[in-house]
Amino acid sequence: MEIVLAGETLRLMPDKALYWPREQTLFVADAHFGKVAAFRAAGIPLPPGSTSAALSRLTECLSATGAKRLVFLGDFLHSRDGRAAPTFARFAAWRQQHAAINIKLVRGNHDDRAGDPPPEWSIECVDEGEVVGPFCLSHHPEPDLRGYVLAGHIHPAIHLGGPAGDSLRLPCFWFGAYVCVLPAFGEFTGTYVVRPREGDRVFVAADGKVIELGARREL
Amino acid sequence: MPDTLPVMTPTADHRGGDARVEAWFAASGWTPFDFQREVWDAYRRGECGLIHSATGTGKTLAAWLGALMQSIDAGASGAPPLTVLWITPMRALSTDTRESLLKAVTGLGLDWSVGIRTGDTPSAERARQNRNMPSALVTTPESLSLMLSQAGARESLAGLQAVIVDEWHELLGTKRGIQTELALARLRRWNPRLRVWGLSATLGNLDEAREVLMAGAPARLVEGVRDKVIVIDTLIPEQVDGFPWAGHLGFAMVEPVAAEIDAVRAAGGTTLVFTNTRSQAELWYQALLEARPDWAGELALHHGSLDREVRDYVEAGLKLGTLKCVVATSSLDLGVDFSPVARVLQIGSPKGVARLLQRAGRCGHAPGRASRVTCVPSHAFEFIEAVAARRAAEARRIESRRLIAKPLDVLVQHLVTIAAGEGFIETELLAEVRSSHAYRDLGDDEWSWALDFVVRGGEALKAYPEYCKVAWEDARFRVPDKAIARRHRMSIGTIVSEASMEVRFLKGARLGHVEESFIARLSPGDAFTFAGRTLELIRVRDMTAYVKPAPQNKKLVPRWSGGKLPLSGELAASMRAMLKEFRDGRSEEPEMRAVARLLKVQRAVSRIPDVNELLFEQMESREGHHIFVYPFAGRHAHMGMAALFAWRLGQQRPATFSFSVNDYGFELLSATPFALNRELFNLLLSTEHLLSSVLASLNAAELSKRHFREIARVAGLVFQGYPGAGKSNKQVQATSGLIFDVFARWDSHNPLLAQSQREVLERELEFARMHDALTAMQRQRITLIRASRPTPFCFPLMVERFREKLTSEKLADRIARMQLAFDKVRAA
Repeated sequence: MEIVLAGETLRLMPDKALYWPREQTLFVADAHFGKVAAFRAAGIPLPPGSTSAALSRLTECLSATGAKRLVFLGDFLHSRDGRAAPTFARFAAWRQQHAAINIKLVRGNHDDRAGDPPPEWSIECVDEGEVVGPFCLSHHPEPDLRGYVLAGHIHPAIHLGGPAGDSLRLPCFWFGAYVCVLPAFGEFTGTYVVRPREGDRVFVAADGKVIELGARREL
Repeated sequence: MPDTLPVMTPTADHRGGDARVEAWFAASGWTPFDFQREVWDAYRRGECGLIHSATGTGKTLAAWLGALMQSIDAGASGAPPLTVLWITPMRALSTDTRESLLKAVTGLGLDWSVGIRTGDTPSAERARQNRNMPSALVTTPESLSLMLSQAGARESLAGLQAVIVDEWHELLGTKRGIQTELALARLRRWNPRLRVWGLSATLGNLDEAREVLMAGAPARLVEGVRDKVIVIDTLIPEQVDGFPWAGHLGFAMVEPVAAEIDAVRAAGGTTLVFTNTRSQAELWYQALLEARPDWAGELALHHGSLDREVRDYVEAGLKLGTLKCVVATSSLDLGVDFSPVARVLQIGSPKGVARLLQRAGRCGHAPGRASRVTCVPSHAFEFIEAVAARRAAEARRIESRRLIAKPLDVLVQHLVTIAAGEGFIETELLAEVRSSHAYRDLGDDEWSWALDFVVRGGEALKAYPEYCKVAWEDARFRVPDKAIARRHRMSIGTIVSEASMEVRFLKGARLGHVEESFIARLSPGDAFTFAGRTLELIRVRDMTAYVKPAPQNKKLVPRWSGGKLPLSGELAASMRAMLKEFRDGRSEEPEMRAVARLLKVQRAVSRIPDVNELLFEQMESREGHHIFVYPFAGRHAHMGMAALFAWRLGQQRPATFSFSVNDYGFELLSATPFALNRELFNLLLSTEHLLSSVLASLNAAELSKRHFREIARVAGLVFQGYPGAGKSNKQVQATSGLIFDVFARWDSHNPLLAQSQREVLERELEFARMHDALTAMQRQRITLIRASRPTPFCFPLMVERFREKLTSEKLADRIARMQLAFDKVRAA
């Protein structure tokens, strides 16, 4: 599924990532690594598995696209309590296997409290507002005069109601006039139901496909 | 009770508890009931027991005076240390309970102090109590558990002489009841001679109720006043011909209801109008106010979503008699003496005999006075329900409370509670837990799992030594982390309310709470009714919906009316008996005369089933092919049966079914016809592989996931924030759905998931009842009627809004179909 934004073609991935072929850059938002670990630290015994699952999805996306660059649009780490040894060991091992990838983190509100990732992971950390081509990289989905904003933060989902009381709530990509909001990439992340405005485009990721709502066609 | 009571001062003439009590009673103009004397004697012999009778018949004094008389007998003076713990299921009742306990203390000239400890008790007061406990403490199951989670619990509570559990029928068969059982097991271990007395309304399984409360120890069952007169009748409109065959609100009855209230009001009395749902209460309040604008100020609304202050105001008005009519939900089912209430009206189905009797007991709330409850049918079949309820009550066929067995979520919470308190040693606590009725056959494996879950986080976290909630420290299992212990104390309890949002005026006045899901459907500018007013939503911020009064003639957003109780088995059986009487031409009841025309139509176009007959109706319409079945097993069991039948028919030949259910039967609608025959009936009614078939026929995973909210909350997997909790807690908040997904994916054998499935089957489908109903149906004579037009029986099913679809469509197809609807919404 592709979309043309600010003159650039972008590819929407069913794994909730956005790929920019011309720059070979993969964007993901709200990974929230260490969230499960933070729950454990608070005495809530959640089983392991989420970090590995998120990392293998990331691997999938990178190999499917051949991306050279990876940008986390904020909330890479969930919280300070989530900086747990097993989680960090997993990410470090993954990073070693993908040492050639250039990784950048646009800091989000969670990163401010959780702190930057360890320097040995070689992740370049920047604040919001970096401009790349026609795009402005951000975490908070607020319009910016310098470019079309790529952001996360709100974990957008759409609520679909059908006849016979059928209903679904699905994570979505939400493209507005000035801002695009990516779905949360992390495994253990909630969603927030958004109400798109007239003219917005909404894509849901389900069953390994990306489907545009309202367009009545599947790409 | 008179306002001023004589006060007895101890003199040489009044030695012993009996003399003092007899004198106080005589001076007040009362005579003790025999059952009260029985309890006073039994209490002083050190016995335990369960007292049951209708409300307002002197159960409180029976239990309470036993303790006071014991103290008088012993010649004690002053305020003794903590002696009696009084457990009430509703903290809102604690103030009134304390007052009535104190009245007796004063009346007998004693110096006992009586305190309250509930979630509303300020921390300064709690601290004062911890230093110096009152002689008697009124508390709730939650606050009792909270006390057990503190280090000094044994010191404060080991000296207890008695625990009195008020309204035990409300706790029995619930997780709160099990929480109470676990606390009692602990108190009994600290003091093996602890006296436990329960107060209960009449139930179908009183022996079981006693056994659970006493944990199997011998105890007396005391029947209170039996000859309390309860009148159950029905408001029958003059014109019944146009009465709706189906429907929910029954506004045709507004005028007759207002006239009844007028009559009670003219005689100086107050009327309580009970509805089955909150939204129904709101609508009736509005309708009555429109019918009688001059009642403004004397008419009020009471339900669980309203702000506490509003409810307090209404309750005070009821007690004083300044309010002449209150429209209420189950929020006023329990509780204190509303003496001015002279009449109770029940709008719509009474649902159960015990429930109707409980509501009837809200009037005539004094020994010797009659209680009168009048059913107000909202559709034709409720006339039959009303007479069925009256007959069942006369025959004392009252519902039982079904027990729940050893829920692991409550056990997990209890382990952490005790670990956070004085800590525990495994063998000791296991023996104590097993001494309760609920966990009497707790398996070693179940115990080990629960302990392992709180200590190591379960099998799945074997390799995660950094996880720590409960740990072995100083020769006991304890909670070493203070923050975790604090969070646990904040989350003790098993009451899980639906996610709600505060509603308040921009200027600040709070109105109460509305379901979050309802507010989510509104946009700013939309109007809705709440707290008896018409409100316009301005904005939602920080989990608060800000509103202002809506202008007149603003279009309202209707509110979904949830929480439909099923018709009880006792009431359903009685209803079938009433139908049989009609069939046999023996019915003299006024309600049956009111619906005679309708039943005659049913007889002419189809059939009125006998008590041992199962009626099927088949019909064709433009919608498709309908099958109607009438097992009279209540809407929950029908839901399960409808899904099961649809699934079993679908095994014969692929088909898509819509279905609808009510308390009397259910409907299956399909595009193609099915030829019903003996063989197919046998297949449909079979109980073979019932559980696996039901699970296959429903979206069981989705149902369990919804229900997991409660289990996750009780087992401490989700933490509900509290005011001032700050950011650090926000980062460990997740929805239970998210947690369910994590467990389902990475720890699918976690017993809490199985518990969720078991509970959802029991609560939403009444699985056990469904099983029993199918077994009974196998033995019934089957009659199949081919109807050419809708029958009075099937008509309500056809208009029932709720339509469940059994779907095997793929997710992507569902999205494709639903996005049509999405486009429509967006275009609008």
